Amino acid sequence: MRKIRKDEIWAYVFIMVPLCTFTIFTLYPVVSAAVTSFQEYKPMGSTWVGLENFKNTLTNDLFYKALKNTFVYSIVTVPLSMFLSFSISIMILPFKKRIQSLFKACYYLPSIASGVALSFVWKWIYDPLPSGLLNSVLRVFGIENQNWLGSGKTAMASLIIMAVFAGLGQNIIIYIAALLGVDATYYEAADIDGAGFFQKVRYIVWPMVKPTTVFLAITGIINGFQSFQNAYLMTGGGPDNETTMAGLLIFNRAFKYFEYGEACAQALLLAAIIAVLAIFQFRLNSADVEY
Amino acid sequence: MKRKTLRNILTTTLLMAMVISGCGSQQSAEAPASQDDAAREVQSVASEEAQGQEQAASGEKDVVTALLPPVSGTYQDKLNAWVEEFNAENQNIEIQVTTASWEDMTQKLDVQVNAGSPPDIAFIGYDGITKYLDSGMLVDIGDYLDESQLGDFDENVLNYFRNGDGLYGLPAYCEVQCIGGNRQFLEDAGIDWQSVQQNGWTYDEFREAIQKGVVMDGDTVKTYGFVFACSGVTAKDYFSIFVKNAGMPAAFDEDLKYAYTSTKMLDFLTDLRALIDDGSMPKELSAIDAGKRWNMMLTGQTMITGKGLSSFEKSAADNNALLESGDPNAVEDSIELDYIVLPVPVFDGGEQNAYGAVDGYICLTGEKDPDETHLKNVASVAYYLASGARAAETCQELYLKPVCESGRTAYEELTPIENKNEDNTKAVELLTEQIAPARSDIPADLGAEAIQIEDEVIVPKFQGLLAGEVSPEDMYQAIVDAAYDAFGEEGCVQD
Repeated sequence: MRKIRKDEIWAYVFIMVPLCTFTIFTLYPVVSAAVTSFQEYKPMGSTWVGLENFKNTLTNDLFYKALKNTFVYSIVTVPLSMFLSFSISIMILPFKKRIQSLFKACYYLPSIASGVALSFVWKWIYDPLPSGLLNSVLRVFGIENQNWLGSGKTAMASLIIMAVFAGLGQNIIIYIAALLGVDATYYEAADIDGAGFFQKVRYIVWPMVKPTTVFLAITGIINGFQSFQNAYLMTGGGPDNETTMAGLLIFNRAFKYFEYGEACAQALLLAAIIAVLAIFQFRLNSADVEY
Repeated sequence: MKRKTLRNILTTTLLMAMVISGCGSQQSAEAPASQDDAAREVQSVASEEAQGQEQAASGEKDVVTALLPPVSGTYQDKLNAWVEEFNAENQNIEIQVTTASWEDMTQKLDVQVNAGSPPDIAFIGYDGITKYLDSGMLVDIGDYLDESQLGDFDENVLNYFRNGDGLYGLPAYCEVQCIGGNRQFLEDAGIDWQSVQQNGWTYDEFREAIQKGVVMDGDTVKTYGFVFACSGVTAKDYFSIFVKNAGMPAAFDEDLKYAYTSTKMLDFLTDLRALIDDGSMPKELSAIDAGKRWNMMLTGQTMITGKGLSSFEKSAADNNALLESGDPNAVEDSIELDYIVLPVPVFDGGEQNAYGAVDGYICLTGEKDPDETHLKNVASVAYYLASGARAAETCQELYLKPVCESGRTAYEELTPIENKNEDNTKAVELLTEQIAPARSDIPADLGAEAIQIEDEVIVPKFQGLLAGEVSPEDMYQAIVDAAYDAFGEEGCVQD
């Protein structure tokens, strides 16, 4: 049997620390949630109910509506946010480092601001009365007053716009880091071949940052499916559940009605959906990506 | 090199100690769970006896914990003095208070309840009783209070804290939730507000009045007749407060049949929608939150607002004082406002029933076999906080009359509020008498189903109705469908 070296012991010791943290703060809650999903949870003693929580979830129309809303929200927010951040990154890149930092700081600012503070700003922007900020701007272009958060026609779009702008900063920083990693010789070669700006973007930049794009798409979709804060703070899921998303539904089930068993069942189903989507995305986008 | 090794050892030891001690305490906490119930019971009784003997011998105090929000403006400042007074008078009890903002209150309490370690006393609205009762942690304090203590409270208000035969808390106050108007605007529109305060008004009278209150500035509305905060879940307030006067004072009738399936509901919804279609209320109503509508009231953008509380008179008076002194802290573009308390109109087939928000002190336990002496101490503390000078001072700040005799006696000794509108005082007293009776006969499971229908069907559809995207007929049908699913056709009112 091979003797374990002193350095290896230290390696195991240091691995054990994050492993313990992972076990306590991630693995245990997940296993506990899985167990609770088969119970009617009560603080003074839970009872086993078999698949009842899953049955209730799968026969609840609101669950499907929440899934549909979540899907729409994620499928619009993620590509839109990625397209805008990619475009802005390309526009920022030619500047000197100091100017780049200034732009990065400006775009990243909403990411460090509290969600509650941001929601106040957006509520002010979406003020439904004619005196509201966005309505005042639109009136200049002859567009009539909109009830942004109060109407089922505009509430989801309002949340999407808010999410896109709030998430731009992080994506821009990641894209700029990826763009800076593209070797300048590619551009020089393209210049010699007489390639234009869009050709360089199409044939050099886009393929070179594809691993970053795959990463942002997968994490974006995961975050989109887990989104909760915007709907909770801005619309409460209304009107007529048009902005109720899976995260909000789970939150309400657990913390409003104390039905932790059903909330855990919904959370597990959502986790399974996210996992399937992530695998699908990974397979679809990463075929020609080298890491 | 040696120093580096030493640092590594110390860091690792510290981290391991933290992790192991965490696991260790978890194990020791879970250990009793693996023992059988009988053994646990014996252990629990023995432990309680031992604890009691130890407490008596050492003179240790029984600690009663309380989680309390800022009930009134200076409530949390006064708490220390009240607690000190109680602790001094009761040498065997010590109150330990944790304060929380209104926003954090429910969340903190929910977390503590679901972790199995709630505070002994918490301040909540009576409508939370069903939820906490279901968790099995509410304490029936009826047995721990004597007749004089129970008799101190107005019976109808006390009943709000009953469920079935149990009494799970004591009321601190009963706040009438109604609507309120701008005196100048009401008079300009020719509305006899004093008569309305005394005699109430019908839906038709109200509809006509708020139409008169609309002031146009060219093509745009300068002042609406009526604005109620309806953004998000506040739409629930508009529905709940008004539906009581539409012949449905509770979600269940006296035969415990679900009442909102009555055709009165369809008429009620049609009537509410008509107020928006008339142009008396903004068509963007569904997105106006509580802050915005009060701002509209202070800036003269509406004649009447809701929900209205009697304490709004103080908020208006405070802003008036700032305006008068030229203080820049006055609300921007605000005007002088003489706030008038008004009752909610009565709909066809309905009776005047005021909506009372009864808040107070509930008592909880995380123990399966709680110590009787401790529960009696908890009940005593809850009574202390809900009665006497505490009730009087809190209610005066909220512009309310106490709901217990001891509170009313103490109230008489307080310095009266300056410049209080006596018409408002009388109106609130009258509305308090008209508060719908508490429905402690509604079983917890039926109540929970009704709350779920309200949250998942009524409120979302109502938001759609206010936005003009759901018709009254569609909303009514959605309520009927959900109610038939939950209670069966037999369990619902059919007229």
